[in-house]
Amino acid sequence: MVTKEKLKSYASKLMFDMDDAEYEILLSEFDVILRQIELINKIDNISDVKPMTFPFLDYERELREDKIEESLEIDEVLLNAKFKVNDQVKVPKVVE
Amino acid sequence: MYKTVIGLEVHCELKTLSKNFSGSKNTYSTKPNENVTPVDLGLPGILPAPNKEAARSALKTAIALNCNTPDEVIFDRKNYFYPDLPKGYQITQVTKPMGKNGYLLVDVNGMPKKVEIHQLHLEEDTASLEHFNTYSLIDYNRSGIPLMEIVTEPCMNSADEAVSFLEALRNVFLYCGVSEADSKKGQMRCDVNISLMKDSDTELGTKVEMKNINAFSSVRASIEYEIKRQAKILDDGGKVIQETRRYDEEDGNTYTMREKVDAIDYKYFIEPNIPPVKLTFDFIEEIKKEIPVLQYERHLKYVNTYGLSEYDATILVREKNIADYFEEVISYEVDSKSAASWVTTVVLASLNKLNLTLKEFFITPKMLAGVIKLVDNNKLSLRQGQKILYQAIQDRKDPMAIIEESKIEQIEDKDTLIKIVNEALDESPDVVKQYKEGAYYAANFFVGSVMKKTKGQANPKLTLEIIKEEMEKR
Amino acid sequence: MDYRYSDIDTLRSLLSNNETTPESLFKEAKSLAHKYQSSINPFVTIVDEYQKESSNSYIDGIPYALKDNFSTKGMLTTASSNIMKDYVPVYDSTVYKKLKEAGAVLVGKTVLDELAMGGTGTTGHTGIVKNPWDLSRMIGGSSAGSAASVALGIVPFAIGSDTGDSIRKPAAFGGVVGFKPTYGRISRYGLFAFASSLDHVGCFSRIVKDAAIITDILKGRDKYDMTSLSDDDKVYSELLNNDICGKKLFYFKDICNPEYYKDSNDEILLKTLEEFHNTIEKCREIGFIVDEVPFKKDLLTAIYPTYMIISCAEATSNNANLTGIQFGPRAEGDNINDIMFNARTRGFSELIKRRFILGSFILQKENQEKFFLNASRVRRMIVDDMNKLFEEYDGLIMPASGGIAPHFDEASDRLSDRYLILENHLDIGNFGGYPSITIPSGFVDNMPIAINITGRQKEDDWVLNMAYKIEAKLGFKGQIAGGEDNV
Repeated sequence: MVTKEKLKSYASKLMFDMDDAEYEILLSEFDVILRQIELINKIDNISDVKPMTFPFLDYERELREDKIEESLEIDEVLLNAKFKVNDQVKVPKVVE
Repeated sequence: MYKTVIGLEVHCELKTLSKNFSGSKNTYSTKPNENVTPVDLGLPGILPAPNKEAARSALKTAIALNCNTPDEVIFDRKNYFYPDLPKGYQITQVTKPMGKNGYLLVDVNGMPKKVEIHQLHLEEDTASLEHFNTYSLIDYNRSGIPLMEIVTEPCMNSADEAVSFLEALRNVFLYCGVSEADSKKGQMRCDVNISLMKDSDTELGTKVEMKNINAFSSVRASIEYEIKRQAKILDDGGKVIQETRRYDEEDGNTYTMREKVDAIDYKYFIEPNIPPVKLTFDFIEEIKKEIPVLQYERHLKYVNTYGLSEYDATILVREKNIADYFEEVISYEVDSKSAASWVTTVVLASLNKLNLTLKEFFITPKMLAGVIKLVDNNKLSLRQGQKILYQAIQDRKDPMAIIEESKIEQIEDKDTLIKIVNEALDESPDVVKQYKEGAYYAANFFVGSVMKKTKGQANPKLTLEIIKEEMEKR
Repeated sequence: MDYRYSDIDTLRSLLSNNETTPESLFKEAKSLAHKYQSSINPFVTIVDEYQKESSNSYIDGIPYALKDNFSTKGMLTTASSNIMKDYVPVYDSTVYKKLKEAGAVLVGKTVLDELAMGGTGTTGHTGIVKNPWDLSRMIGGSSAGSAASVALGIVPFAIGSDTGDSIRKPAAFGGVVGFKPTYGRISRYGLFAFASSLDHVGCFSRIVKDAAIITDILKGRDKYDMTSLSDDDKVYSELLNNDICGKKLFYFKDICNPEYYKDSNDEILLKTLEEFHNTIEKCREIGFIVDEVPFKKDLLTAIYPTYMIISCAEATSNNANLTGIQFGPRAEGDNINDIMFNARTRGFSELIKRRFILGSFILQKENQEKFFLNASRVRRMIVDDMNKLFEEYDGLIMPASGGIAPHFDEASDRLSDRYLILENHLDIGNFGGYPSITIPSGFVDNMPIAINITGRQKEDDWVLNMAYKIEAKLGFKGQIAGGEDNV
């Protein structure tokens, strides 16, 4: 069962929250999507099929040769960071 | 009494030129954010480009640890939020790790122990966080450095076993040349899982995890502390809580970090940007050829085949390059015991004294073999041999050239020696007389004078024999 | 001079004969961009200063627009999301780099549905994009601004990205050509990822030949994109005239049949299908063999949920870098979690959040097998069946949509079961990475409609070739919105 509480916990694991009304919309969306997904699960012999991640694999692929490339300049690294100290990105103290 | 059960998770940074998924320089750096490309920052639009050398190193280690290797290289995403993880996921291996079901033979205080390896996988290191009073700073230099994780089965039963395993494992990294494995630089880090059970129990006890312990001595201390702590809880009829604990190096205690609420769901799925790359038979065979005979096996061979002492064998296999040096010396048909004794004394002492690595050492195995042979064949005395070697090191000169130039060679021609001995006897008739009266030590006096006359080049053993013979004639 | 109808060939010859300059083309495009910005809203950023690298490529000096989810060094790139409203990249996407090196002149960065997750063109953080053919209608998305800028004649071509139909659908609603080549044909490096296994780079143009010219420039292996294909050493724009006689096309039986919808009273749908069958007849006239072919109904019905599951799951992970720590607006908060939490709560629209929650739900350990992996299995089943059909047929021809661009107030009901297949079959092109092109095929109620042709993996040349021939026959080549009396 998908409940509003569950949806809220998924949201918080993804590091955000929504308005209460949005959860209601989402719940009704889940109704639709779960129904459609049920169609998927009913497809014949689905469990015999290997899940697909890549559109096709019949082409040459290789791993990267171990070569060094130029790094960004430090001001580029920090260009978009709003808070920086000593050439590093500053955040409130991270406590484990 | 309880039985201790320990499993280890060891992280090791690989020594490649570039990072695991980008071309940034992979190096230990103290200047923040100097080895960073967009990929390491997890900027929008970046894609991973997996490093062949990192894959090769991980496979090499996996094979050295007797693991099964996969048919193809494939990666997965591990999704979680943390400020040191810029992409919000770590690229790692779950579906097909580089190694599975291996083992490492470890010498634990002279007893063999087979430590089972659950799996070995390749992933990327996180950025590093430095903590201050009110804030933390993020340095992305470490972000994306290839990291190998080795997970053992819970099969170790003491701190000794765990530490011996770690030492042996570190040695495998060094022998295979895949990492510098310097725990001071955080290149080798260890998580310890430990639980206690009664001998009669069939199921493992509740496990406690201790994270990110770098020094082996801390691994030992933390395990010893935990054994005591958990035993006390059990003795008092309590229950050990499943949790993550932190080891404090200052006071040697462990402290609760967080209790395990529910396991984090990392929502693993196959990394869609890295299509699988087949591992060909040739590629794997090529890697196999590069794997050297490891420490444990060499030690066995040195003791059983070469007849070396435990002590010498242990010293020689401690570092691969020393063992390699030793093996090259004996490849010149030098007696293995002599070679062992020269390497463990003169060579190691010189390296130590001059603070050199073997690479920088001037004396090649061939040079050393030449000197050892002369000594073993009584062409040089042991002292002469050592002196020449030290001089060769000092002057960076071939010892054979030194021998030739200074004409240092033992006088072994019997007629020559008889002549010199008689000269010496003639010069000190009093001492001859004492000898004749039974003061046999007086022979040594004449050995000394013969040495003086020959500037130390007379073969001392032969000289003594001749002195005795000539005395008989008088 | 009015360049709005000019294709690349025309502009090339004008430039070569010094009848115009790249700078005046840029100025003209820029002024058109500003002219339409308030009424249509195609752009997030309109480039102010003329900038061009020297080159002697065929598109040297040609102006173009780029979707605002391609990384452009030193130039704001927002993905039309508040969470990146101030983000200035420090590196170039491969596509932008190649176009720059080819001497093409960027006119603007175009509006998309936030993070490319949407098909309406209404969810970008700078407002909705309107359809130039009828301002009360949407242009579709997610590459809304790119479609609009080409439909308006501001630029002869624009770059888009396509994860489900994000190029091909807005191209249809805008009456222009939209081409998505084979997966990996064009590098994705620097394209802000939505769903990596489905994301494609492609382009909009007003004629098929221009799509071929641009693909020729952009294609090729990129060391930064491991899924990119090595060059097939073909020049697509020179292969458009091959004989297509006897080439075999198919369309899905039933769902293209007006009878199937006869109870619906949906005049537009019925007219669109009627037009589709007229188009099929014209294809036959020029030598194509066209068959209707049955396809497993349960698989066709599963297209949309399969797409939703895979794309939302991958998107959840791909956008986990948006936390406001290293880039983007930094939110306030006493601790690191609050900062990330607040940045994301404020930065994403509610629609995006709903999709992310769905993606996260799908990937939960207890749901992975049933949702994510089963969807990935259906993906394979569909692609396997398509590949089997491609053994006999050279292409799939379908209406790009079951209708015309919707009004702003009528979007969502098209997800009802009746429309489910007709509105979502373009996703097949992404499932299998097939080259797929949408070309204008006429008008219904004065709004453009289109057909789509999807071909075998890696046979981009043939897809373009077939589309080129059909385009010539249909006669809607090079049109711009509103014709001569443009707005």
